Amino acid sequence: MSFGVPSALLWSLLAIPVIVFYILKVRLRRAPTSTSLFWSQVFDEKPPRSIWETLKHLLSLLAQLAILGLLVVAIADPYLPGQFMAARRVVVIVDNSASMQATDVGPSRLAAAKEKAVRLVDGLRFGDEMAVVIAGEHPAVAIGMSAHAPTIKRTIEAIGSTDCPTAIQPAIDLGRRLIGTHPLGQIVVLTDGCFAGSEQLLESTDVSLEVIGTPAPNVGITQFQARRSLVDPLGYELLSAVTNASDEPLEGRLEIELDGATVDILPLKLAAGETWSRALEKTSLNGGRLTATLTQLKTPAADKGEAKPFDDPLNSDNRAFAILPPRKIQDVLLVTPGNHFLQKVFEANRLVKLSVAKELPAEIPADTVVVLHRKVPEKLPPRNVLVIDPETSTEAWTVGGPLEQPIITKQDSDSPLMAHLKLDNVAMPKATQLTFPEPPHILAGAVSGEPIYASFKRTAPLKGVVLPVSLDEGDLTFRTAFPIMVANALSWFGESSGKLQPAVATGSVVDLPLNGVKHDSTIALNLVSPGGESKPVLLSASQPQADSVDAASATVGPLEQVGFWEVAEVAKDPKASPVVVGAVAVNLSNPAETDLRAPEKVRESVMRPLTAASWLTRPLWYYLAVLVLVLATVEWFLYQRRWIR
Amino acid sequence: MALFPSDFLTRLEYLSIISRRVFRGSLLAQRRTMQLGSGIEFSDHREYTAGDDFRYLDWNIYARHGDLLLKRFQEEQDLHVYLLLDCSRSMAFGDGRKFDLARQLIAAIAYIALADLDRISILAFTDGVFDNFPLTRGKARILQLMKFLEGLETGGNETNVAAAIQGLLHRQSRRGLAVLVSDLFDPKGFQRGLDQLRHRRFDGHVLQLYRDEEANPGLLGDVELVDVENESVRKVTVTERSLRTYRELFTAHQTSVREYCRNYGLGCTQAEAGVPFDELILQMMRASQVQR
Repeated sequence: MSFGVPSALLWSLLAIPVIVFYILKVRLRRAPTSTSLFWSQVFDEKPPRSIWETLKHLLSLLAQLAILGLLVVAIADPYLPGQFMAARRVVVIVDNSASMQATDVGPSRLAAAKEKAVRLVDGLRFGDEMAVVIAGEHPAVAIGMSAHAPTIKRTIEAIGSTDCPTAIQPAIDLGRRLIGTHPLGQIVVLTDGCFAGSEQLLESTDVSLEVIGTPAPNVGITQFQARRSLVDPLGYELLSAVTNASDEPLEGRLEIELDGATVDILPLKLAAGETWSRALEKTSLNGGRLTATLTQLKTPAADKGEAKPFDDPLNSDNRAFAILPPRKIQDVLLVTPGNHFLQKVFEANRLVKLSVAKELPAEIPADTVVVLHRKVPEKLPPRNVLVIDPETSTEAWTVGGPLEQPIITKQDSDSPLMAHLKLDNVAMPKATQLTFPEPPHILAGAVSGEPIYASFKRTAPLKGVVLPVSLDEGDLTFRTAFPIMVANALSWFGESSGKLQPAVATGSVVDLPLNGVKHDSTIALNLVSPGGESKPVLLSASQPQADSVDAASATVGPLEQVGFWEVAEVAKDPKASPVVVGAVAVNLSNPAETDLRAPEKVRESVMRPLTAASWLTRPLWYYLAVLVLVLATVEWFLYQRRWIR
Repeated sequence: MALFPSDFLTRLEYLSIISRRVFRGSLLAQRRTMQLGSGIEFSDHREYTAGDDFRYLDWNIYARHGDLLLKRFQEEQDLHVYLLLDCSRSMAFGDGRKFDLARQLIAAIAYIALADLDRISILAFTDGVFDNFPLTRGKARILQLMKFLEGLETGGNETNVAAAIQGLLHRQSRRGLAVLVSDLFDPKGFQRGLDQLRHRRFDGHVLQLYRDEEANPGLLGDVELVDVENESVRKVTVTERSLRTYRELFTAHQTSVREYCRNYGLGCTQAEAGVPFDELILQMMRASQVQR
């Protein structure tokens, strides 16, 4: 046997005063009596002392010395070498994904998992260590290897729920790294089994699966996205999908709102296991925040009976969110000698307020996009400009010779100017060579490398795009590519890409563009969750895009809750509302999380017992303390029996 | 609290009146001295001899039986009451209530006797008589008597009833009523002294006082018992069993006192020291009347 605190054995010197006091005897209490007449008879008539009476005081002394000895040894923290050799390393992985919030097991699957985890802590033997890993979208170590049960339990109690999908395998890999090369390592996964690959886990020898939950029916929104229409400036499209992850048909409604105003209410009749999907087209100039909600869910009754309300066990997938970017009316000044088709392209765009002139006016209103057709002054106007078929050189380029039948071989599909644009088969018989003093950003280039469509550098914040293609020849103006090209250019000028601002899945990390925040800005920003919690966020360190000189972005995530996440300026006046500079919609949208029914094989699996708390699994001092209690009881009995017989 | 409070005499007077009118002096038994003399009360007959006075012939008996018998008459004398007060240290055990009650009882009995024109004497004893209030008569002596009792203190090395009674017998030759007020914790036994009293044809009454702590001691555990009289020390371990034995012995002692007094025609009153003295006196009067 070894001792953790051998110096504690010095306390055994307390045996000396115990023996001294026993020998000296404690001074007796003096009790005066009016007469010893009767007491003499009482004690003179006592029978001779039995062996028990002779020995019981000595036994009392021995019991006291034994109590002292056991206490001293217990304080010295003894242990057997074998106890540490049998010590285990256990990693408990707690699945806190969205499906664990289901309430089919009260109060929730996650609460049941935490309760089981706490019981596992109770089953730890002396010398065992346990770590807790949270299996979210990104696994995290909640507490490293520890033998302190109360700390482990507190950590488990503090595990919160998320709306993220399950990622068990990365958590298992992390757990294996924590165990390392320890020969007695075990991994216990507390999960509902609603993830891909759960059946394969049953075959692992070092992983035990504890399945929590029942095959509860659920219905949820598994897809919800919104984007601006490519052809209708005011229009937008909604993609919605609802999955019935149950064995019975369900009915209900999908209610869609834009900034609180109802956009549409769609009746749902879903067969067992059916996924309903629909693409809707709506219009909205201002855009806003879209919310889709499942309501009035009920199970239709057989034989025309009354439908029963459906108690949905998981709320995270009953709502979905999307952001529809706004459109603004753009002032456009078209300076052209005359091109009907060009003019019509702008007139057809409902987001454009068009002015047409033959000559460039001296005064141009602010925030006006100037479209120059053919006639281009040497000094470009101090506005964003789109130049089509320039005839003359300017400060930004020098006009060269003609380009006959340029074949576009290079297109920058990533540029917002080229969004939804393909110029492959567009006939452009005639174009003009342009030479730029500074290399432009070629959006579409010919095989010879000449830019056919490019954005060129200007003094910030001005932007310029040039299309040195003749509109009088070729069919560019007849193609849908041209209004898209124009729309993209106008959106780019207004720093509104018009591109899809997609809703992201829970657990994602996104680079969120910030409106009106410059790249080198030093303002303080907060990331605000759907639940209202704020934490500081920094601007991304990435270099700005060539097309957006000043626009800043912030990398935020992982976004663990469904709803709208915002990046807002920290208001100097606490009473003022913070200015929101960026927002992103986050949805669960995960059919695997919506389906709360784990595979049958997984549900029926039985977890290998970790251990059961038993008397022989505690440290030695515990048993010594129990012995001390027993001896103290014996000593109390001996002490009391002196005058209770 | 004062030994004789301000209303003490009032209470004594009340007891005296009750004794005379209700109990007709039964407390002190009113025993007449059997002296044959010239009293008016017929006592006995004897045979006529020549020279006797014809006036005392009982003519009724002569008429019926033809026998000549002479009447004999009693001569009344006042009662001598001897009050023996135990002044050993056991009487002052605890808060001294036992000793105070004893003195109050002595004063009460003395007053009743004095009110009846009897004579009283008080002897204070421990291991022997150490002080006395000489034989006296008349109610006016009560104040001096009370002063005498107030001045008494407990002491001595033990309770010796036999020595006390011997002291009485040496001092007083005339028989009377001896009232012993004591706790009777005599190591040599109370019987020896009372036997002497009986042999000298004294009437006796035992007034035994005790305390509840003496009957039911609250001791338990390892203690050093100290006898307050002889200051002997004994280290003992008091258990529940030894307490039971003690109580049995105490009860047996009390019983032996009662039985002794009953067997030999002595009056016996046993009381706990918490009983008021006048209540005890009334209790004694009731008991005396029943006996008569």
